[in-house]
Amino acid sequence: MANKKQYWVGLEELENTPSFQAAQKNEFSEKAVSVDTFLSETNLEKTSTNRRDFLKFLGFSVTAATVAACETPIINSVPYVNKPESITPGVPTYYASTYFDGSDYGSIVVKTREGRPIFIKGNAKHGINEGSLTARINSSVLGLYDSNRLQGPMAQGSAASWADVDPKIAAGLQSAANSGKSIVLLTGTVMSPSTMAIVKAMTEKYGETAVRHVSYDAYSAYGIRKGNELSFGKSMIPDYDFSKAKVIVSLDADFLDSWVMPTQFIAQYSKNRNPQADWMSKHYHIESRLSLTGSNADVRIPILPSQEGAAILALHNEVSKLVGGTSAAGKTDGLPMDRIAAAAMDLSKNRGKSLVISGSNDPQVQVVVNAINSMLGNYGSTISTDRELFVKQGNDAEVLRLVSDMNAGKVGAILISGDINPAYALPNSNEFVAGLAKVGTSVSFARWADETATHCGYLCPDHHYLEAWNDYRPKSGHLALAQPTINPLYNTRQFQESLMRFCGMEGNYHDFLRQQWQSYSLSNGSESFLFDDYWYNALRTGTVSESVATGGSGIILNAAAVSAAAGGLGKNSSGSGAFELVLYTNTGIGDGSHATNPWLQELPDPISKVTWDNYVAVNPADAKELGLNLTIGQEEPASLVKVTMGDKEVVLPALAQPGQKSGSVSIALGYGRGAGGEAIGRSAFRTKEYGGYDLDGEGRKITIGKNVYPLVTVANGAMNYKGGSVSIEKLGETYPLACTQTHHTIMGRDSVLKETTFSTFQSEPKEVYNPAHLLQVRENGEILKRDVEEVDIWRSHPVVGVGHRWGMSIDLSTCFGCGACVTACHSENNVPVVGKDEIRRGRDMHWLRIDRYYSSDMSLEKGAEEGIGVVDTYRQMEVANYDNPSTVHMPMMCQHCNHAPCETVCPVAATTHSNEGLNQMTYNRCIGTRYCANNCPFKVRRFNWFNYKAYAKFTDVNPSQDATARMVLNPDVTVRSRGVMEKCSMCVQRIQAGKLGAKIKSQPVEDGAIQTACAEACPAQAISFGDLNDAGSIVAASETDKRSYHALADVGVKPNVSYKVKVRNI
Amino acid sequence: MHKEAAIRQALILGDKSYHDITVDVVGPIENKAPTAWYVLITIAGLIALWGLGCITYLISTGIGVWGLNKTVGWAWDITNFVWWVGIGHAGTLISAVLLLFRQKWRMAINRSAEAMTIFAVMMAALFPGIHMGRIWVAYWVLPLPNTFGSLWVNFNSPLLWDVFAISTYFSVSLVFWYIGLIPDFATIRDRMSKPLAKKIYGLLSFGWSGKAKNWTRFEEVSLVLAGLATPLVFSVHSIVSMDFATSVIPGWHTTIFPPYFVSGAVFSGFAMVLTLLLIMRKVMKLENYITIKHVEYMNIVIIVTGSIVGVAYLTELFISWYSGVEYESYAFINRFSGPYMWSYFAMMTCNVISPQLLWFKKIRTSLTATFILSIVVNIGMWFERFVIIVTSLHRDYVPSSWSMFYPTWVDVGIFVGTIGIFFTLFLLFARFFPVLALNELKTILKVSGEKYKNEDHH
Repeated sequence: MANKKQYWVGLEELENTPSFQAAQKNEFSEKAVSVDTFLSETNLEKTSTNRRDFLKFLGFSVTAATVAACETPIINSVPYVNKPESITPGVPTYYASTYFDGSDYGSIVVKTREGRPIFIKGNAKHGINEGSLTARINSSVLGLYDSNRLQGPMAQGSAASWADVDPKIAAGLQSAANSGKSIVLLTGTVMSPSTMAIVKAMTEKYGETAVRHVSYDAYSAYGIRKGNELSFGKSMIPDYDFSKAKVIVSLDADFLDSWVMPTQFIAQYSKNRNPQADWMSKHYHIESRLSLTGSNADVRIPILPSQEGAAILALHNEVSKLVGGTSAAGKTDGLPMDRIAAAAMDLSKNRGKSLVISGSNDPQVQVVVNAINSMLGNYGSTISTDRELFVKQGNDAEVLRLVSDMNAGKVGAILISGDINPAYALPNSNEFVAGLAKVGTSVSFARWADETATHCGYLCPDHHYLEAWNDYRPKSGHLALAQPTINPLYNTRQFQESLMRFCGMEGNYHDFLRQQWQSYSLSNGSESFLFDDYWYNALRTGTVSESVATGGSGIILNAAAVSAAAGGLGKNSSGSGAFELVLYTNTGIGDGSHATNPWLQELPDPISKVTWDNYVAVNPADAKELGLNLTIGQEEPASLVKVTMGDKEVVLPALAQPGQKSGSVSIALGYGRGAGGEAIGRSAFRTKEYGGYDLDGEGRKITIGKNVYPLVTVANGAMNYKGGSVSIEKLGETYPLACTQTHHTIMGRDSVLKETTFSTFQSEPKEVYNPAHLLQVRENGEILKRDVEEVDIWRSHPVVGVGHRWGMSIDLSTCFGCGACVTACHSENNVPVVGKDEIRRGRDMHWLRIDRYYSSDMSLEKGAEEGIGVVDTYRQMEVANYDNPSTVHMPMMCQHCNHAPCETVCPVAATTHSNEGLNQMTYNRCIGTRYCANNCPFKVRRFNWFNYKAYAKFTDVNPSQDATARMVLNPDVTVRSRGVMEKCSMCVQRIQAGKLGAKIKSQPVEDGAIQTACAEACPAQAISFGDLNDAGSIVAASETDKRSYHALADVGVKPNVSYKVKVRNI
Repeated sequence: MHKEAAIRQALILGDKSYHDITVDVVGPIENKAPTAWYVLITIAGLIALWGLGCITYLISTGIGVWGLNKTVGWAWDITNFVWWVGIGHAGTLISAVLLLFRQKWRMAINRSAEAMTIFAVMMAALFPGIHMGRIWVAYWVLPLPNTFGSLWVNFNSPLLWDVFAISTYFSVSLVFWYIGLIPDFATIRDRMSKPLAKKIYGLLSFGWSGKAKNWTRFEEVSLVLAGLATPLVFSVHSIVSMDFATSVIPGWHTTIFPPYFVSGAVFSGFAMVLTLLLIMRKVMKLENYITIKHVEYMNIVIIVTGSIVGVAYLTELFISWYSGVEYESYAFINRFSGPYMWSYFAMMTCNVISPQLLWFKKIRTSLTATFILSIVVNIGMWFERFVIIVTSLHRDYVPSSWSMFYPTWVDVGIFVGTIGIFFTLFLLFARFFPVLALNELKTILKVSGEKYKNEDHH
């Protein structure tokens, strides 16, 4: 019963047909032929397919299969197995962090894509810099991906492991301590309280007498600290508040670029440069070279470096005359006393609302500056001694003592942090290197095997700051956090963590930092109950504030110090026939630590527009006298000169620089890195015309520019960057310099550039300072004058009042020409780096450039008056004022014309107008006729002359040719191919993302939600971007402003970018 | 048969019979080429190869091998283009316009002038091609139906008009030239004894049998093509000039350009015809066909067009001042006083002053002087285009972008190379094609042959 069910295989079985029965019987049929039988079949020979044919078929199929397989190799993108919570492919993640490299400081926001940091912007909401960054900071992201970085620890020149080096170094430190020699920790300025806690732990471990912490700044401001010590008995830098200063007198303090804390000062200063605000500051600038800050001054007073003392004394005496103070004896011969008196007058009228600062490293000058500020009552308002700035802690005297101690064999071990490079940047670097050899244990934390690291026994490479934790106290009352945004690329270790290992501390720096912050949170207070809240809030915002004791400790000026200083300065005045030297750090590569960054090397100097070199800036009149070439161009090289100072000499090209005080010359520091061929970065060396490095006679790579740190002199225990006496000798040879701008005056073209004075702006109607270009038109038989903007012979694009119309407004009054927008654009839009030779040929690829114009002594009106003829007038208009030109910086990018001349001439319609007012470039449709670039009145289109991402010429300069550096590319922006045109797209990828964001929220696009890279980077808020059709937007309001004009309005191209008239407060 | 006034000079000198003409023209094709021909073609061929090498380098490396920069986006490339197109004007003018005007003297020169036109237009067409950043997608300028989506060419762009203008001009010129060659090819075919050559010329002559019907059709087609080609003579260079005239660049944005360019083109075209014919007449012993009178006629055309060009230059200069536009006036002040003033004065001397020498009969009938002047004129016309293109671009609106242009060896190499290619083609033409329209010449032998004319007279 149990097994009643019948299963059958098929109907055949069920029906049990005869054929089925037969088949079942013969299940193992005899008829089947075995393989052997088959092979022995004699008929096989007779078949048409014989062996040879078979081989032919086989060969053919294999070949065919191979050929068919010859396709573009398939590169598989491996998706996340488990998607990290915070990462969505295609959607950027932002982290608040902090940048500090020993001189530049800023609260930043790091944009990461798929885990890669690709863009740095300022943190507008938090931090003392209010979102302001320098070009150096926003370009720093590229340094992360430098393939020349040290990839792990090294001991005595060979690769090692951390486990190897740690005990050896610890033992070295211990033996140094035991032998009674000192252990020196040589660092840049340390503003990190947690780092200082580790230093303290180290001191405890090895003994207070043994451990010496020496702070060193390559470009020091020791004079200010020393001066304050003399004046007030405390070595410090007070906090300055430029936003309260109605009158600013700067004695060579380049506070918009390098002086003390430029990121904070830029934000404060630029607020008061808007002539339409309640008031506009007046800026006097006394200096020898034409600096970025000086070029923006309302009144610039050129003096010789040796006159600094006399000038500051003269200012002191003028002020004291007006406010009733004591004056000191001082010479005034040769000084422009009228302008100094005017400055004193303005200062005295704005007591407590003015600011006098000096970039001099001479403590005596600083003492007199303090005295002037004190007379004016600026302490407590524009200067706060309650709040200190903690940057520039370098102590020159200590550093110099260290070098002699090292040579004397008193130093048993030295630990050199990675942000400094004394073997390169010390004036007596030879002695330093010699001393280093006498130190038992030398450790470098540099990220490259640089000039210093190559002389150290152990290399313990530090993380890049984007891979590291850290904290900073930039000034009293502010604490900032830096957090990693990517896993370390190489086997590097955080500097602080290395120190922890050396003094036997366990754990990692992050945990240590958290622990430290726990104590801050307690001391700072009541805001959060839980530390986690406090911590994550700090991480999110990047900064927290602390309470500051406003001790009200009335600062007492040491009057004796003032008279002593005055006595000292009164004496010092040189009158030798030689040139006085000014050394400075420039906007691009700073003190030299950015020399390996190709974006910054290619960033034109804001004043001279020279890239990829340093040079001797000479006043054109002096240059003429020396017989030097006055103009620099593609085939007009600079003259080489030999600069001699005592037994030191350096050969450099000379540049005729208007505004450089006659009798002085200036040279940028920070160049000539890697003179020993150190592997400090691919783009740090000169390349040849067809690619590859240029080598000198001994087969060494040639540096970019020359190192002039040896020309720094030491006076009063401080590094002195000015006033050294040098002789300049013309060598008769020439050297090409690469300038992005070879014509320097505006040629009277006020439809390009409009500027006026503050008094005119206040008292006169718009027609005076911003006249419209009027056209004579005939309407209904009447002859009328109409604004060119209203006249149209073309059908307009239907963009006004329809949907979005993206536009930009650039305020020429607040733009000060720093170039942060240029590098931000470079970074955002994957702009290729083309190197010196291409720049020289006028082929820079910058989508955004800053045009800099000097004033000329000649104008068409003056020429007509003097009757010198129009040809001569124009020729003289080409020549800038030699001694003190007024300077204008004008950012220029695609103007997104509504009647774009480029659009009509493209034969294949590769550049077209979007219905949102953008002038679009379709790269993959472009055939490269360059007609659009020719027809562009603004000359903002850039052509891909070569295949920058593969051609040998660019291998060592263009980051996109380096497998690691390529990771910095913005995945939202195409890397353009050879032979196509490119130009500013108004960051269309950001516009698109912003629109999508608004769409997801089902809201209209908010004004300010979309920012172009340049607008975001502008530290002075000079660029605003938005929707011109949005009546409430800032840019729409700017467009109708009385200062607003369209460049070249008379051509009738109707741009979507407008400029605001530059107003000088004179 | 048309009657020619006795006062007119004979166009065919010497005691020529129909057979003599045939022998004089076809002889060089049948006989072994002279050594000079081998020497010349070797030189021209080497230069051509050098040019092709430069072009290969350009295309494989990028436009950056030229001296262009962000401000000057066109320089020698478009200068050469316009120069060659200009040269290519004389041929069609001679064959079409002079045909319509019944200028019989054209018959001795039209064949080589047309050949020159075709080769010059080929050289011209090369430049817009190779000046593109991505020549491999050059076909995008053609309005081809495509699968790229809704992509279409931009009919607003003068560069697109160029594409149509040049291609039309080239094809009409080629057809016109070829039609003229057919009866002559037939003559060669009939005389040729080598079988292969006979076969080839047979193919080329399209079965011409010399019947009256053939001749009627021949004349009709010639007339129709002349009618078609005549407007083209004026349209091509007018359109080329619009590349500049429709732009916004001061110095380019000028309504005077179309007539000014056309007369300049005829001017340079005739100069090039003279350069070539003066050599050819000597080398191929065609003194009896290309006479001093022919040279003089062409020189007169040069005086006329050269003067038109001169007036155009001065008008431009005047208008730049009269307009009151600062950019416009500066563009011209810069031309004669700026860094490229040498090129402006080279242009003025070569194009305005030197042709005025031809007012002297002695100069205009001197072969040496004519030869030198024809070369001077072509140098001048090259500079004219260089002045227009480079000096306008290098300093336009925004002074920060003002720059200079310096040619590289590749710029020079390609220009020289095209001259090499041009001469190579022309030498091949002179060797294998009938350089005079022999059958057409025969039609005027009886009316304008020296011997017949003199017989009639007496």
